[in-house]
Amino acid sequence: MAPTWRLIDTGIRRAAENFALNRALLEARKRRIAPSTLRFLQFGPSALLGYHQSAEQELDLEYCRANGVEVQRRITGGGAIYMDESVLGWELYLGKSDLGTAEMGAISQRVCETAARAVSAFGVPATFRPRTDIEVDGRKIAGTGGAFDGDALLYQGTLLLDFDIGRMLRCLRLPAEMLSPQAIAGARARVVNLRELLGVVPPLEKIKQRFADEFAGALGVAFEPGELSPQEARLFREALAEIDRPDWIHMVQKPRAGLPVLEGVHRFAGGTLRAAAAYDRAGGRIRQVCFSGDFFVNPPRTIADLEAALKDCAVDDLAAAVARFFHGRRIEMPGLAPADFAVAVTQAVASA
Amino acid sequence: MASVKNCNLPDDLFYNVENNVWARKEADGTVTVGMTAYACALAGEVVAYTPKKVGRTVDVNKSCATVESGKWVGPVKTPVAGDVVAINDAVAAKPGTINKEPYGEGWLVKLKPSNWDAESGALVTGGAVAAAFEAKMNADGFAGC
Repeated sequence: MAPTWRLIDTGIRRAAENFALNRALLEARKRRIAPSTLRFLQFGPSALLGYHQSAEQELDLEYCRANGVEVQRRITGGGAIYMDESVLGWELYLGKSDLGTAEMGAISQRVCETAARAVSAFGVPATFRPRTDIEVDGRKIAGTGGAFDGDALLYQGTLLLDFDIGRMLRCLRLPAEMLSPQAIAGARARVVNLRELLGVVPPLEKIKQRFADEFAGALGVAFEPGELSPQEARLFREALAEIDRPDWIHMVQKPRAGLPVLEGVHRFAGGTLRAAAAYDRAGGRIRQVCFSGDFFVNPPRTIADLEAALKDCAVDDLAAAVARFFHGRRIEMPGLAPADFAVAVTQAVASA
Repeated sequence: MASVKNCNLPDDLFYNVENNVWARKEADGTVTVGMTAYACALAGEVVAYTPKKVGRTVDVNKSCATVESGKWVGPVKTPVAGDVVAINDAVAAKPGTINKEPYGEGWLVKLKPSNWDAESGALVTGGAVAAAFEAKMNADGFAGC
């Protein structure tokens, strides 16, 4: 008989509560006082930092305050995101031994591939996009990240049901030119949600059931609905007392000037290629890059894939990373050479 | 130098194999702590590092730093207790140094140890290193660095 794991649905909660639950359930799993667990969760309007990020660098705090957007810090890694009721959150708490590998990249892939199958069951071709995203035809529909402590793992992801990307862009700290109608249209082209794909959001309970079924099948377990134990409830209260405070949210303080968003414009034979790059000055690293301009690339998803491949790329490794990305791919882009992308980013960085 | 599945594991260091960390007693009495090459291989490229602050006391097998790689965040657990006397600014600027030189420039914290003699006695060193890590790698289903 398949081992029984717990299924918890904590509904819509404040971000502070959701992250205190992350801490509590991971700790309980580490101490082996809780079973492996699948949790579904949702957030009120909130702007959520990655564990190592600085609110000043990443968010428009004034906009968040004025618009009732809760600001919080995750215990997992990655970049700042915006969440509200139009996003479903899902999380696994388990042991490394449950997955048969201790390699973090392999764990991310395995979980994301399973989640992608759950999304695909609704008739959209969702696939894993390395390293931690799920996409439909090159457009991101889910992001993920993890935390570990000893043998215990928390892996969490999103699923965009009916998402307002304009709101997300307003919460993040972006220069005015990246909030132009064109730029918002560009961002919209990179992201997709279930309503846009299906014309309707499937009932939430059906989506949750599909996720539970896929994870049960992939992990060889059966899920049984459960609740927090009294010990977990105590751990939750302790974690909330630490997390629901400004000093947790502002634990990492870095000056805005340390992460400028820079633009490089490269004129190639057939047109103009623009690169907008968030540049981690101290680390000499491209945190994130966005390409735009009047060029033709086929398949169109190439640009989104290249942007994903260049996340957190060291500036020293930029040219080589671009070359690695294009190596062996059949891509049509008249007048544009792979090296042009590196040139555009290098120009952006040079303007720092 | 021991090498297990292509991961370097210097046999003059003291390891907590379970937590995948090493310690080295320096001539000035401090202890340097870092991640093993095997831990780096499991994590992938480290992109962020937050050590405990200088002056903080850390207990044995408790977090002395938090690292992030590939959107994963987790603690690095010190193999011996002590007061943090130095953190690595070069690693804070370029966390990938941890992967490139896990036993050199990629160290995480330096401690003034509070109980080195007793605690180091429980760590794995010398000729026992290779077999201990080989067993862990096999248990983890790890193919190689």
